[in-house]
Amino acid sequence: MAIKFNQVTYRYESANNDFYDAISDISLSIEDKGEFITLIGETGSGKSTLVQHMNALIHPSEGEVLIYGIKVNKNTKKDKKEKLNPLRQKVGLVFQFPEYQLFEETVERDIIFGPKNFGMSEVQAKAIAKEVIVQVGLDESYLLRSPFNLSGGEKKRVSIAGILAMNPDILVLDEPTSGLDPKGRDDLLNLFLSIHEKLNKTVIIITHDMNIVYKYAKRVLVMNNSRLVFDGEPSVLFKKKNIEEWNLDLPDMLELQYNLENELGIKFSKNPNNIEDFLTEIKGAK
Amino acid sequence: MSIIKIEDLTFSYNEDTEVLKNVNLEINKGEWVSILGHNGSGKSTLSKLIIGLLKASSGKITVDGELLNYDTVHSIRRKIGIVFQNPDNQFVGVTVEDDIAFGMENLGIERNEMISKIQEFSKKVNMIDYLNKAPHELSGGQKQRVAIAGILAMGTDIIIFDEATSMLDPKGRDSVLSFIKELKNQGITIITITHEMKEALYSDRIVILKEGKVIADGTAVDVLQDKKTLNSSNLELLLPLKLIYHMQEQNIENKEIEEILWQLSLIK
Ligand SMILES: Nc1ncnc2c1ncn2[C@@H]1O[C@H](COP(=O)(O)OP(=O)(O)OP(=O)(O)O)[C@@H](O)[C@H]1O
Ligand SMILES: Nc1ncnc2c1ncn2[C@@H]1O[C@H](COP(=O)(O)OP(=O)(O)OP(=O)(O)O)[C@@H](O)[C@H]1O
Ligand SMILES: [Mg+2]
Ligand SMILES: [Mg+2]
Repeated sequence: MAIKFNQVTYRYESANNDFYDAISDISLSIEDKGEFITLIGETGSGKSTLVQHMNALIHPSEGEVLIYGIKVNKNTKKDKKEKLNPLRQKVGLVFQFPEYQLFEETVERDIIFGPKNFGMSEVQAKAIAKEVIVQVGLDESYLLRSPFNLSGGEKKRVSIAGILAMNPDILVLDEPTSGLDPKGRDDLLNLFLSIHEKLNKTVIIITHDMNIVYKYAKRVLVMNNSRLVFDGEPSVLFKKKNIEEWNLDLPDMLELQYNLENELGIKFSKNPNNIEDFLTEIKGAK
Repeated sequence: MSIIKIEDLTFSYNEDTEVLKNVNLEINKGEWVSILGHNGSGKSTLSKLIIGLLKASSGKITVDGELLNYDTVHSIRRKIGIVFQNPDNQFVGVTVEDDIAFGMENLGIERNEMISKIQEFSKKVNMIDYLNKAPHELSGGQKQRVAIAGILAMGTDIIIFDEATSMLDPKGRDSVLSFIKELKNQGITIITITHEMKEALYSDRIVILKEGKVIADGTAVDVLQDKKTLNSSNLELLLPLKLIYHMQEQNIENKEIEEILWQLSLIK
């Protein structure tokens, strides 16, 4: 087991001295191999706060998180660099806002920052930068540009490239597809899927897109009001009545299935996974 | 009657590359236009040119009868509200309340009216309990909702939403779409920049940018069927339409199902 949350609560203290438990009493375990997880739930439910515990960026106010055997709780010193730094390489986190991650003069310097920090030579890191920039759908000419003078979707891609360059065991991506064009979204999801399948790595994706949950996830976590309210398979989640109450909706495929079943008075033999499945059902309905 | 007229607009951030190339576009008063296109196609740049945050290399922009230039830029900005792609770029104040007030202050809206509008619009986007919080203490989607409230409260005749719902949960997104419909019914002119085909379907008209050029401009229903153009611009077909095209390619004939899929793809 790579990451284990034991009854974790995280309390923000606001400028005006309010306290707010952004996540409350969370317990869950994540394997370092073979998981493809989506984390979903309404705006402000605690998703970003939850994942920032996974590489010890923030520490629990109550409870503890075990990350590769290292215990992190409220007594863990923030300055324990030598202890916590290796975790940042094992668990790579892409922030919701790429702007929080981009700070160097060029895209190349941003991408090589992580690998160099973890001991890679500059030459080697630059070679990797050339590979990952293409993987995220940009060409090498972007390496010499300023990360600040890019479009929203281009920034997002660069922030993802930075994590890929670190080659972490677990990839945690906070809304990696928001702001991407549809082809970019599919290409990057397929890239994450191939990293997951070929290298057997665990991927955790925060998203509001139910199609991603339906198509890619083996396991889905739902946050609602600071609490983990669901941890299981997508097919089970989408059968539940609470979907609306949790501010979620149905993936397009299921919506279309139910609509066709209603309109045609038929019953699909199984939930469709692709266009071919729909065509099979339609041929059968003749 | 056109409220925004863009003629032969060309723009570059630096000499070597033109980001927008000879763009011509006329938007009518009360129309809802979606602007789609691949990452880096020039959508946000175009919106910044319309409100005079960037200056065209050549070409003309006319807003509500006024030609955009140094003398008219202030008057034109009073007519257009823009929700930026990154809500952080919209925040200047110490609290959420300051930020919702900011746009109204610039318009010189009277204090009492401002206070009631802050209440009205923070409630509308479900952020009334957060008025005293600092903007950096909000989640991503909460920031987007505050940014939207600040612009709606300004009550301008034209509103541009630059991917303003990209981090909202499905229910939040639906409710913003229904505000936009309300605005449209009130005669407000709307431009939405989006990557969501389902969202674009609600608009009257779709313009697609590709590498800085307008490559499609038509009714939403027409453009969303244009498989070739969508594919070449990194966009996608709505699922029911995609299914119709697959049926046709594989010669699966079933008029009844095709008809139903048509209806389903156009449900808003
Ligand atoms: N620095 C902070 N200080 C105080 N409260 C905060 C802070 N950061 C977040 N919060 C609050 O904690 C809650 C959870 O925030 P979080 O960013 O984890 O939500 P989220 O599920 O990622 O939401 P979204 O989908 O909108 O990104 C929110 O209600 C937010 O207002
Ligand atoms: N400040 C800047 N300086 C130089 N080039 C820029 C700047 N901002 C954007 N660009 C470039 O201009 C082009 C258009 O950018 P723009 O932000 O308008 O794209 P967009 O269509 O909004 O993309 P996205 O869907 O990713 O938001 C991109 O290739 C981008 O790299
Ligand atoms: Mg978040
Ligand atoms: Mg943009």
